[in-house]
Amino acid sequence: MFLTVEGISKRFGSNAVLKDVSFSVLDGEVLGLIGPNGAGKTTLFECLAGLLPANGGTVRFNDQALPLARRKEALFYMPDGILPWADQTVKWALRFFEKLYRSTEVKASSLAEPLKLERLMKSRIGSLSKGERKRVLLALGLLTPQPLLMLDEPFDGLDLRQTRDVMSLLKGHARRGRTLMLSIHQLVEAARVCDRLVLLSEGKVAGEGTIPELQVRAGLTEGGLEEVFLALT
Amino acid sequence: MRSPRWLLLASKECRELSASRAYWLLLLMIGPLVGHSFIMAVDLYAEASGIGGGPAALSQGLTPLDGILVPTFGAYDLAVTLLFPFVAIRLIAAEKESGAMKLLLQFPSRLATSVAMKALVLLLGWLVAWIPGLVAVALWKSYGGHLYAPETLNLLFGHLLRVALSASVAVAAASVAESAASAAIATLGFTVGTWALDFIGAGRGGWAQELAAYTPTAALRVFEQGLLRLSTMIVIAALSIGGFALAIVWLHTGRSWLYRLIATSVVVITLAAAVTAGAALRPNWDLSENRRNSFPQADEAALKQIKEPLRVTVYLSAEDPRLTDLERSILSKLQRILPRVEVDYAASSRTGLFEGAEEHYGEVWYEMGGRRVMSRSTTEPIVLEQLYELAGVKQPDRPELMEESDFPGYPLPARPKGAPWIFYMIFPVATILAFWLIRK
Repeated sequence: MFLTVEGISKRFGSNAVLKDVSFSVLDGEVLGLIGPNGAGKTTLFECLAGLLPANGGTVRFNDQALPLARRKEALFYMPDGILPWADQTVKWALRFFEKLYRSTEVKASSLAEPLKLERLMKSRIGSLSKGERKRVLLALGLLTPQPLLMLDEPFDGLDLRQTRDVMSLLKGHARRGRTLMLSIHQLVEAARVCDRLVLLSEGKVAGEGTIPELQVRAGLTEGGLEEVFLALT
Repeated sequence: MRSPRWLLLASKECRELSASRAYWLLLLMIGPLVGHSFIMAVDLYAEASGIGGGPAALSQGLTPLDGILVPTFGAYDLAVTLLFPFVAIRLIAAEKESGAMKLLLQFPSRLATSVAMKALVLLLGWLVAWIPGLVAVALWKSYGGHLYAPETLNLLFGHLLRVALSASVAVAAASVAESAASAAIATLGFTVGTWALDFIGAGRGGWAQELAAYTPTAALRVFEQGLLRLSTMIVIAALSIGGFALAIVWLHTGRSWLYRLIATSVVVITLAAAVTAGAALRPNWDLSENRRNSFPQADEAALKQIKEPLRVTVYLSAEDPRLTDLERSILSKLQRILPRVEVDYAASSRTGLFEGAEEHYGEVWYEMGGRRVMSRSTTEPIVLEQLYELAGVKQPDRPELMEESDFPGYPLPARPKGAPWIFYMIFPVATILAFWLIRK
């Protein structure tokens, strides 16, 4: 196993947001974390990235315990809905990440075309539309070198064509050996891009596997991810 | 060639600071603020030097440190108290509110490095804000004004420590608080608290007065008097580092509350130990040109023969001007030169207006090796004479002492020519222009 998550739990006061969450991530796969709004996807990502303290549970990376202090060596998490360094230009942010992470395999220039960033380079991040900002955040995430990249709602704000292009880009990175974990609430998109899925509902894992595996678990002989999700949650 | 990561972070912080409207507003205001203080100071100095044809003050009383430097740079004290904390808070709060902090916490460098770069850039930003003050100093020289380098540099050093403390308090508040508004309230609360401590501690003795000696205002006052005191330097530096250390503890959202509380306790205990140890350090240097913090050298040589502890009991209230005189001209100087001086403030009221004569009000008792002597004087030669008698030390010859006090004073009947144009016109326009060019 590439990454093993065992028994992660998180409470905010008396509200249990994550309840004994366990699943595995395989090397080089695109794993989708799906669930409705409020299922705990973002909280789970933040706990895994070490941005929020979990109340319990362990994370193992390549069969070795991955303590909080070493999380950033193995994984990088790109949150959704953030507006970092609004007064700076896109070009600066990309170059900053490139230099900070000493990116050698992926260069900002190679991401500009597939993410349609060329004409945004001189724009301030604060002046971008939601979709443009999302593409910049995706580029920043892809410039990081950690073996596992966690993207929160990577298609949120993108139009149909952009979604298709980004999916293709992410699959290409996965093929080159980078493991991706995507939090997605649109099931259609999840089914198209992910190799395997973890279904999260009310803070608990309702199922884990490929769509056929989940169909079997749900006792369905046919139907898509939507039917599987409804049956399991 | 790869740039070191700390340099990248410093460059990022520089860009963030230069993008901050709060910082540009500070720069816009600081020119006229400093300029106004400088112009007023030069005018007053000129009048005291007899420019209007009126009687000039005694030239020995005219020192550029008191007359020009302290009031001019006093504007910075105002700015660092009321404006600068917002700039420092913004540097943290903007990243917390925009979500950039979530990225920063995952940067390959340590969080401590990021915070250290923020601190460094804040100090650099403040040095840029010093330009009007340094121009004022240059103008003063161009008018023919005198400057004594050690006391000038000492004053600048004091202001630098002052801003380091202010930055650390603001950064710590911004790290702990949920929002910039809460951080601003906490920072201003700290400032008001130190003012209250200044008031409460004055002339009371005990821990309150000892603590009040290290409030930002009191610490700066030491440098404004031309004194470089190791204890003040160490305590203010320790408090500044402590503030940034607290910021590192609280910015890491991935740590549990328990972890953060334990780490905070460790920082506070370490800080308390450093402050206590620092406050006990006695080395200090009188860098004022007129040696205002020192007795004449012959007296100091004589006083150095005294090895016994001196206990002083003062029956003067905190608001009695005689107490201020006594502290400035006698007690602070004795504390610099004698190995141990304990001061007991025995007056029971704050103003002294309603204390009866039978309660010893107005008396100052000096006690050494079981011998006691009472004096009501705050005049240096009289008190010293009594101390020599008390300690059994031979008094140095007075004529020799008279020759030593040869500070000439530096009257200068000059008007602040060109200063209004520079500070009220050129600085604001240059600031707006620089902002426009950087934002372009």
